[in-house]
Amino acid sequence: MKKYFYSHIVETSSISLTLSEIDMTNEERAHLSKLAESHLHHAILNTVLSELSEDDKKIFLTHLSEDDHDKIWALLKEKISDIEGKIKNAGEMLKKELHKDIEDSKKE
Amino acid sequence: MAVGRKRNYEKLKDKWIKKHEELSADLFTKHRESLDWLSKNTKQIAATSLGSLILLASPGSPTLRLPDTQAQTFPIELDSKIFLISDLEKLLPQEIRELTPDEEEKIGQILSRDFGVKATAVLDGKRLNRSYGLIGAEQHLARFPGDNMSAHFDNPEEARLHYSSGMAPGLSAWGYFAPSKEQMTEEDKDRERYYIAVQTFLAPDFNQKVEQYRDFFRFRKMLVVNPQNGKGIVTAIGDAGPAVWTGKHLGGSPEVMKYLERQDGRARGPVLYYFIDDSQNVVPLGPIDVVK
Repeated sequence: MKKYFYSHIVETSSISLTLSEIDMTNEERAHLSKLAESHLHHAILNTVLSELSEDDKKIFLTHLSEDDHDKIWALLKEKISDIEGKIKNAGEMLKKELHKDIEDSKKE
Repeated sequence: MAVGRKRNYEKLKDKWIKKHEELSADLFTKHRESLDWLSKNTKQIAATSLGSLILLASPGSPTLRLPDTQAQTFPIELDSKIFLISDLEKLLPQEIRELTPDEEEKIGQILSRDFGVKATAVLDGKRLNRSYGLIGAEQHLARFPGDNMSAHFDNPEEARLHYSSGMAPGLSAWGYFAPSKEQMTEEDKDRERYYIAVQTFLAPDFNQKVEQYRDFFRFRKMLVVNPQNGKGIVTAIGDAGPAVWTGKHLGGSPEVMKYLERQDGRARGPVLYYFIDDSQNVVPLGPIDVVK
């Protein structure tokens, strides 16, 4: 139930909700939800790291490893313009893909 | 059906594991230097090989990274309330405040889906002042003239659990639940047993439509959910309150509070409360399980 530093920008419940419309067990749904969360996490980290210098990447990763959201956001807001918009876009694009995958799985 | 279900799951699983590998590879290829640096400088991950890890904040612990295999392995059996708790946790604000219409709508969908009833914050164009708030413990209510604590319980176990809460000195906002002990039905008993008090007087337009609202709220069924443990209970609005100055937004009977496990030191905590659209009166009062 942990919140990620971007949880307030990228909601992930819609994936879990859409998966619930497909006939599968709770365990299967949990597995796919976990994978989807992991996808989003990778994509968002990639987005953030791609905007930072090597030195700032290290600072960011240190804050991430300490799970210190305040420090993460202080750094990101100082170093990257419209970081919230960029994270939101990355998350929304990937979610769109994942929703499409779910729709396709129903048709195939 | 089992074959179809397996196909859907298997197809998505295969596709998403592949996607997972691609995203991992992309991340580690682009940012190898800093990730390598982290692995050498953070005790937490020093003992593991970076190539076999993904960065993933894991519930209950900071950072963390789960081995690739963990994201790909079939999880262990789950409590059916886990999805509900998880979904609500993602939507609910950190602070206990009024929900936005969008939040209210999405949470209503989740509650309806998981409890198998139509849960809504707005019913017949009427709503309460809020649908997420602090619930506090109330006392038992007199159900008929002459009701008292020694006659209030059906069995010794109920008395053992709930006697100490005592009985409110006054009547509920609707008066008695039944005209006499002899005329009291099981439904009357359940309405008192599973009652909540809500701030009807703060509902939008209440002062302009007192009678209409009073009739609407009287014994109206509401689903009350503790978002922290996923427990839900079907209640009846049995009283009006609590007063604004208490800082609480609704009250629950001793039975409701006990079931929801909202019995911390101050006997209060956040809950969701939504009307149940039950025009046929088929949803029974009392605890309700998450639909499998």
